[in-house]
Amino acid sequence: MAFQDPLARFAEVSADPLGYARAWKARTGRPVIGSFPMNFPSELAHAAGALPLIIQESDDPITVGHALLFPFYCGYTRSTVDQAAKGDLAVLDAIMFGDHCVQLLGAADAVRVALPDTQVIFFQLISSMCDPWTFGRARESFQKLRSELEDFLERPVDDAALRESIALFNRNRALIRELYRMRVDGRVALTAAQMQSVVKSSMVMDKHEHTALLEELLAAVPAQAAPDSTAPIRVHLSGHFCQAPKPELLNMFEECGAVVVGDDLYHGFRYISTDVPEDLDPMDGLARWYMDRNTGVPCPTRVQNDVDWDAFLLGAMRNERAEGMIVLMAKFCEPHMYYYPEVKEAFERADVPHLLLETEHEGMAMEYMRTRVESFVELVRRRRGVARAALQPVEGEPA
Amino acid sequence: MNAPVQPPKLPGAANKLKSTRMAGKLVNEYWEMVWRAKEEGKLVCWYEGSSINPFLEAADIVWVHGEAYSAMLAARHQEGPAQAAAEERGYSRELCSYARTHLGCAVNNQRHRNGSDSAFADVPADEDISAKLPPPDMIISAYAYCSTGQQWDEMTSRLFGKKIPIFNVSIPWIWASGKDAGYCRGKEWEETSVYVARQLEEMVKFIEERTGKPYPWDRLRELMRNVKRASELRLEAMDMCTARPAPATLFDWSVSIAPINQLPCTTDIVDYFTKVRDEVAERVRTGEGAVPKEKYRLFFDGIMNWNKLGWLAEKFAKYDAAVVAGRYTHMAFWQEPDLIDANDPVMGMGQNYLICPNNHSSPILIDLVMGLCEKYQVDGIVFHATRTCRAFTNPMHLIAETAHSRLGLQTSMFEGDVADESFYKDELLNTRVEAMLEAIDARRLATA
Repeated sequence: MAFQDPLARFAEVSADPLGYARAWKARTGRPVIGSFPMNFPSELAHAAGALPLIIQESDDPITVGHALLFPFYCGYTRSTVDQAAKGDLAVLDAIMFGDHCVQLLGAADAVRVALPDTQVIFFQLISSMCDPWTFGRARESFQKLRSELEDFLERPVDDAALRESIALFNRNRALIRELYRMRVDGRVALTAAQMQSVVKSSMVMDKHEHTALLEELLAAVPAQAAPDSTAPIRVHLSGHFCQAPKPELLNMFEECGAVVVGDDLYHGFRYISTDVPEDLDPMDGLARWYMDRNTGVPCPTRVQNDVDWDAFLLGAMRNERAEGMIVLMAKFCEPHMYYYPEVKEAFERADVPHLLLETEHEGMAMEYMRTRVESFVELVRRRRGVARAALQPVEGEPA
Repeated sequence: MNAPVQPPKLPGAANKLKSTRMAGKLVNEYWEMVWRAKEEGKLVCWYEGSSINPFLEAADIVWVHGEAYSAMLAARHQEGPAQAAAEERGYSRELCSYARTHLGCAVNNQRHRNGSDSAFADVPADEDISAKLPPPDMIISAYAYCSTGQQWDEMTSRLFGKKIPIFNVSIPWIWASGKDAGYCRGKEWEETSVYVARQLEEMVKFIEERTGKPYPWDRLRELMRNVKRASELRLEAMDMCTARPAPATLFDWSVSIAPINQLPCTTDIVDYFTKVRDEVAERVRTGEGAVPKEKYRLFFDGIMNWNKLGWLAEKFAKYDAAVVAGRYTHMAFWQEPDLIDANDPVMGMGQNYLICPNNHSSPILIDLVMGLCEKYQVDGIVFHATRTCRAFTNPMHLIAETAHSRLGLQTSMFEGDVADESFYKDELLNTRVEAMLEAIDARRLATA
């Protein structure tokens, strides 16, 4: 039971993040600071005594949001604007972000109009990662955001508190990464939906509370039987940046005979991949973290000519002993659409099977997708025992 | 793939400026120069977005503006082969069609240089001008507002095997934070201007590395004097279109984008805009309108649909509607010449790059649009909901709402795209514009 209890709580919070925030606010009387994905350092808001919450795509269909944003935008931006227009985000005292995605900028403008009583704070992070001034500019951006947060809360965020928050967040990330390692090794049996709720709830919950639950979970992991040769095929999930893939989609993969052993989803390993160095000045540390994240798990929303996402994926799959990759592309996600041909060609060259699925906020044709996934699983299963190029290091892969 | 469909001919209703015909000649000469670049041993730079071309022209580097090439292909209905090549490589048609078309040119270019697995595919058709684009020797990315620009350049670099040197200039969005924030003012504006100018100076060092020569600053100053003068003349002519009937429309200004945006910054562009200004002035003097029976005055919000430029000009003229101004034409392209000090041009150039028509967040942007609507005394706004250009569609609903609530303007939206005509729905445009014009009529009757 001890293993299932934390998982149940994570799933509960993941299903109703704003409900959690409202209860937390009622209980503590402290502010809730929302942020847009994917690079705002929540440590800043935490150190200021607030609850940092990464705004999540809602399951609700878009209604009033249609009056603010066109339907040819990604589900995350449309849903966020819709939630703002419906008043669902009223629990947020402020929203902070620094990410530069053209659709997100449109959403931010609309949210600012829809929530006139909510302070929306923005300072654009540099997304060109190779420039001599990238580190300095990233640090400056975080410092600006910190100053605006201090102005808003009318209290300083002191360095000691920030260091404590950084240490706590690092601890939280490390525990989740341990779960990832255990999943690769077969020491823990977590479904993809369960793993997602572990990460997603971490984006929402009070970090102390979440970390305590993670420790409880890890202490209670039941022993697993060794996998046999009839085990499901091992897949890596890739893509889906700002929003979480729908749990029913993840469950369907498993129903089709796949087991997810790794991912680079934002609601997955991307979120917890990188720690903030604790031996640096905290603002230096945050800037370092921002840059390290993109070399650790390259993101197509950044441009960095000396890092290859495709090579990273092939390397990650080798480490995870994954047999195939399912690419989840959120419809209208421009960075992903730009980069996908690179990934496709690299995987074809390496002779590693992959399947592209386009996801939508509403109306996904699940049965059509199921047929495609079943075929993919069958194809990968037939390749078992065949030597694969993916087992070899690939050019451009980070050491 | 889009078939190169020629729109059916409508009876000519638009009284276009005669002086803009010279733009076609200048544009053709410019692209001929680009296509000859390799034969002449010139370095070629690909770039998108901001008009950094004077920096390149001064250094004798041939410049290729990605959007301009895509727009030119679309305007000539020759975008099909490039878009097909892009789609074949896996680029979704929901991507910016400027980028998709330009990336398709890069795919074609690589294919023709490196061969392909097809006995036929590596031979460009004679009329396939997408394959004529010379490959870059360098890439400079300096894109305001739209994240797609930087990613497009990065992908271009990767298409060429990351062997082409690339330089990124980051141009932040003006969020309008702080009580002093406004159009071209406030601490955020000042700090961002300095940030961009410093990067431009680094960009010049990058150019020097490529050419192996000291940067010719005097030449840049000379070119920027021409740009500044051309811009002043253009704005002067635009201002005269507050007259009734309007002597020129948005479609004349769209034809005139190339001369201000990417043609060589010689005295030719000063001559061009002098002639345009003079013709506009003469029309004002004689009362000659760009739409002979001007009954309605409209604002056009959105980027141009290059496949349909002439088609739309005729369509609105047939409705007796003069599209007198637009966000794309009237809020961009060296829009603030007073900021340019030709003797020390870098800061002013950077500031003009920051004044892309989308690079200010909605509080500032909407005020600017409302100001233009009042200045040109429009009856309504037509929104071109550009399917793959979210940079332009982002604030449209907010603008429409404000136009209605603040100025009582009628608005209408139609779907289309910059360079992919498959998104254009003619019947939707017809019914929606007709409905808007009827509403304007009804309002006039009610207040008569």
